[in-house]
Amino acid sequence: MQWILRFFVVHRSLTSLFVASLLCVLMLSSPPARQQWISRALTMSVFYPFQFYFSQTERIKNIYAENRRLKEQVAFLSVKVAQLTENVRENERLTDLLGISSRFSFTLAPARVVARDPSYLSRSAIIDVGKNEGVAAYMPVITSRGVAGKIVQAMGRMSLVQLLVDPANRTGVMIGRSRETGILETVNGSDFSIMFRAHADVEVGDTIVTSGLGGIYPKGLLAGTVTKLEEGRDPIFKKAFVKLEVNLDRLEEVFVIKQPSQWAAFRDELDSLEAAP
Amino acid sequence: MTSLILKWLAAFAAALVLQTSFVPVISIARVGPDLPLVVLFFFCIRHGMTLGICVGFFLGLGLDLYSPSLLGQNALAATMAGAFAGFFNERTMRTDPLVKSALLLVVFIVHDSIFLAVQSLKLDGPVSAVFGGLLFHCLPRALYSIAVAGLWYARDFLPKRLAKR
Repeated sequence: MQWILRFFVVHRSLTSLFVASLLCVLMLSSPPARQQWISRALTMSVFYPFQFYFSQTERIKNIYAENRRLKEQVAFLSVKVAQLTENVRENERLTDLLGISSRFSFTLAPARVVARDPSYLSRSAIIDVGKNEGVAAYMPVITSRGVAGKIVQAMGRMSLVQLLVDPANRTGVMIGRSRETGILETVNGSDFSIMFRAHADVEVGDTIVTSGLGGIYPKGLLAGTVTKLEEGRDPIFKKAFVKLEVNLDRLEEVFVIKQPSQWAAFRDELDSLEAAP
Repeated sequence: MTSLILKWLAAFAAALVLQTSFVPVISIARVGPDLPLVVLFFFCIRHGMTLGICVGFFLGLGLDLYSPSLLGQNALAATMAGAFAGFFNERTMRTDPLVKSALLLVVFIVHDSIFLAVQSLKLDGPVSAVFGGLLFHCLPRALYSIAVAGLWYARDFLPKRLAKR
């Protein structure tokens, strides 16, 4: 017995190689059912800590995969939410526009702004309705909040809108409360003002509506609010500064009031006057 | 002693984790390094044949349990590889990286020869499959593993060279 033990100790490398190889051969030669039993026994006993460790790493791997999948899903849903939010806003705007359409007795042509004047001060915009939809020059363009501008050129499927911010644009307006009339104009495209006679009944906060006297805009369309009054050096006039009701920088959906210019009846006479030397 | 055991346990664990997670990423044409075998090789040449056989056996057995191979197939291959690498341990040979690389290649060949031979015997496959496997699977895998193991040598090797310059 001692001899055997000494042999094992002296030749421990060979012994361990022999034992390990023998165990391997036994495992390999055992029937599948026995192999399964050995696997299960080893997994549940000797290799349990390793199995636990590997199950944890596998779990971490799965967590990474799930995290990646969830990130993709979040990105997708964020885009979806943004689209839906945009749809909700568009819906609100269109609902407002429909509200306007029911309030006014004019025929309205809904339109979308498809292009803007690229300059810093957007004086004009192009909308996607034109002569094909019955739009013609000098027709007013409004939004759900009020006046935006007028058509200056109508083409087949699009029209050019001159916005209120264009210094060349002058709009006949009046004070909603006192019915004092004036002309809404701007010099720089951002400050709007109306010159009134010095004794005119105008107060800060008064609502400005179109007067209908310009021949283009129908009477009563909301244009803005008086924000400041300035008594100038000129004792005859005073200046009322106006904040426009429509944010012309964020114009997206508009309506064209399909009302021919009031000058249309005199068009021939006007043309003959222009043609006269 | 305890720290040594923990160090090697951590090395084997890291190798196994990387083998299942990182190696598939760096595989080229489905050929990747065998990190557990590389760590086993380093263990064996450091600690000798007896420990190499024991660790190789249990490492192979563990791989058998977690891979769809025959029970004992990996154990036998890793035992033999451990015995072979342990025979050429650092106490009896010079520790030149080039020699180690050559030895690692032979260890891979020993390991894969036994693995493929057992597979061929058990599944009644043709003997030519063993040579085919050695040539087209074992050799690229061994070379890739040697390249990866080279990174380990580089840690000690490169600074010295740079310092000489």
